[in-house]
Amino acid sequence: MRVLMLTWEYPPFIIGGLGMACYGLFRALSELGITVKMILPTKEEVYFEISKPEDADFPLAKRENGEPLRTEPLKFYPFFYSMPEESVYGSLSEMLSSISIFQRVERTQLKDIPDGVLERLRLILTQEDTLIQKVRSYSNNVLRLAEKISFDIIHAHDWLTYPAGLILRKATRKPLVCHLHATEFDRALGFGHPVIHEIEYLGLNLADVVITVSNYTKGLVLEHYKVPENKIRVVHNAFIAKSFSPKKIKKFKEPVVLFLGRLTPQKGPRIFLEIAKKVLEKGVKVRFVIAGAGEMERELMLEASSLGIGTHIIFTGFLNRDEVEFALSLADIVVMPSVSEPFGIVALEAMHFGCALIVSKQSGVSEVIENAYKVDFWDIDKMVSYIIELVKNPELLRTLQERVREEVKRFSWKKPAEEVKKIYQELLQS
Amino acid sequence: MIYIIFYFQVHQPYRVSRYSFFDIGSTKSYFDEELNRYIFNKVSERCYLPTNNLFRELILASDGRFKISYSITGTFLEQARTYRPEVFESFQELIKTGGVELIAETYYHSLASIFDIEEFLEQVSEHISAMEQYFGYSPTVFRNTELIYFDKLSDVLLNFPQIKTILIEGADRILMGESPLYPRFSYNHVHLLLLKHYKLSDDIAFRFSDRSWPEYPLTAEKYVKWICDLGLMEKEGRNLYLGLFMDYETFGEHQWRESGIFEFIKKVIELLLEVPFVRFIFPSEALRTLNYTPKGLSVPTPTSWADTERDLSAWLSNPLQWNAMKTTFELLQKAKEKNRTDLIPIIKKLTTSDHFYYMCIKYFQDGDVHKYFSPYDLPENAYKYFMNILADIEEKLED
Repeated sequence: MRVLMLTWEYPPFIIGGLGMACYGLFRALSELGITVKMILPTKEEVYFEISKPEDADFPLAKRENGEPLRTEPLKFYPFFYSMPEESVYGSLSEMLSSISIFQRVERTQLKDIPDGVLERLRLILTQEDTLIQKVRSYSNNVLRLAEKISFDIIHAHDWLTYPAGLILRKATRKPLVCHLHATEFDRALGFGHPVIHEIEYLGLNLADVVITVSNYTKGLVLEHYKVPENKIRVVHNAFIAKSFSPKKIKKFKEPVVLFLGRLTPQKGPRIFLEIAKKVLEKGVKVRFVIAGAGEMERELMLEASSLGIGTHIIFTGFLNRDEVEFALSLADIVVMPSVSEPFGIVALEAMHFGCALIVSKQSGVSEVIENAYKVDFWDIDKMVSYIIELVKNPELLRTLQERVREEVKRFSWKKPAEEVKKIYQELLQS
Repeated sequence: MIYIIFYFQVHQPYRVSRYSFFDIGSTKSYFDEELNRYIFNKVSERCYLPTNNLFRELILASDGRFKISYSITGTFLEQARTYRPEVFESFQELIKTGGVELIAETYYHSLASIFDIEEFLEQVSEHISAMEQYFGYSPTVFRNTELIYFDKLSDVLLNFPQIKTILIEGADRILMGESPLYPRFSYNHVHLLLLKHYKLSDDIAFRFSDRSWPEYPLTAEKYVKWICDLGLMEKEGRNLYLGLFMDYETFGEHQWRESGIFEFIKKVIELLLEVPFVRFIFPSEALRTLNYTPKGLSVPTPTSWADTERDLSAWLSNPLQWNAMKTTFELLQKAKEKNRTDLIPIIKKLTTSDHFYYMCIKYFQDGDVHKYFSPYDLPENAYKYFMNILADIEEKLED
């Protein structure tokens, strides 16, 4: 079985949790005998083949004819990376008109996508917005490549790749799976960019199957995008643990409570600040660390410092991968107060590093873990009391830290991969 | 008579390293040795050495009629002695000419006068000792960091009875339309206040090479005429005192050699020496040359020479700066209580005002002068590095 994976992130090009989820899933799929052909937002016209688990760690860039690309560094252009250079693929409408050259696979059971949708996508993608331009370049790249490589199923991850998936679905009539790692409602906390909403709506409603990473996200999709429930499958993310559980590092004499994530409203850093304020006001000696960068950094720093709490709320700024692990190994408690979190892989990582956990109920991960305090994101007083309880009972803290280390070991990508494989089989049989 | 009082601020801070969160608990140095050495040497070449030479020649050639005054911070002297001893010696040579008055200030160029009076007195004592030790000079004039002044400061300075005169900013808000050319008494009539003439000072310090300034290019002749014309408004024969106060780095560093600043200042001084009703004096000489009793001046809230606001906002206008400075003085207090002689000098270096200046965000969008002086890309980062250092010190204090 050959799956064409469309994704915007893959290690080492990671912005959020998407890249790590793709890595875990693709690797596990290859163990089940599935060949993954992945197209990333690269400037070069290449795809990556993962047919063995080892390939997942060092995927090889291949040209359309299957020849490996010379070993030169690739040029990526996700959000924060550079713009794609002048597209070599001509205009999108040119590409769309060439759709007829695809070998149409007649699968009568699969409904065709109406022509109007394609027209609408063309209109959306010609907008002069830098991000939309990147999506347009990516879609062009995918169409050009897909002509030349063989695959059975299209699997698109998040809205940036949905347009490419939809056009390809229309051109090839091969089944399309739209995987939802985060919705615009999560990112924007309410209504976001109308164009992104529309792309999400089209992708989710016209896909043959929708995979969400949690029941929480499934709920959002049902409520906001009115996708028929029988089309949605929930496949929770998992976590690839390192072979050993890292040792704790003691940097501060006082316990460390960590927030780890982008400083955006979605992740709830302001809630964390409120928690810190209340804990410190009660005279409990704790160091709060806010790790990550983002648009809210300055306002958070101004607010934190106006509390006059000296060095008890520390901002680290942007962290690279090693620094993330270092931060986790010196934290005693991790708080994930996300306002809307489709999954929240950071919680599983924190468990691996033996951190006691307080997670918001508005997260996917709270559906699958046991040894964590689960609190509504707005219930600041409750989170404060949990932190104080843990700080005042070192024995309890240690027990909890041991328990999470054990619990996280049972997570593996095997089960999610099997579920995804089953979805593929159903689609190919229909 | 127009008396001209030239006063120059000579200062270099110990800039802190890019001390990340992960450096806490490590042995990484708090101060960026390499950067400080580089900047000190650069400014020495461009400013300190050539300007000292120029002024020394002018003093010698004028037969002692050309006079200037300096306040030289402790952190500058320490760096000079470590990074560039010839600069230190060049100041010693210059002072030996007798044409120089040295002015007392806080050793660490800090805002201790705002946060911790005990520490303020300590830092002033340290500075006076340094002047005596290195230059054999006992100052009788005081200037607070960045010309910060408020009524209470005059009371506090009663602890140093030798101090008779204070240099302050001639801010519009305290002068209320009156001229800065007339010295004033402090509100308690203890100290003589000499006011900076910010228009004529900043013409040299800030505007000299500004091509968008209508007076550009500023010639020595034009500038000297402006000074001579100051006397036109005085009908009663009262002596006028023109305070030209500026950063020493104006010469060669803020205004580059290529702008002609050295030729300009040399010409200005030579021309002024020829004007019969103009004389150069030391700040301490103002008191005895006065031919009238100065009026009192009340300054209830602090003024300074920084930014257009001329208040404390350059260092204390946002919570980052407040939290950083408050925590620094708290830790210093704690270190003193625990008698941590290993940490006290380090924390004192962290009280230097420049660290807080780099955290200012009021003009950052416009890429203002704060950015020009800051060794860090963003005020947020300046804050982070600084607070990480404080966190490390806090941990060490618990040892």
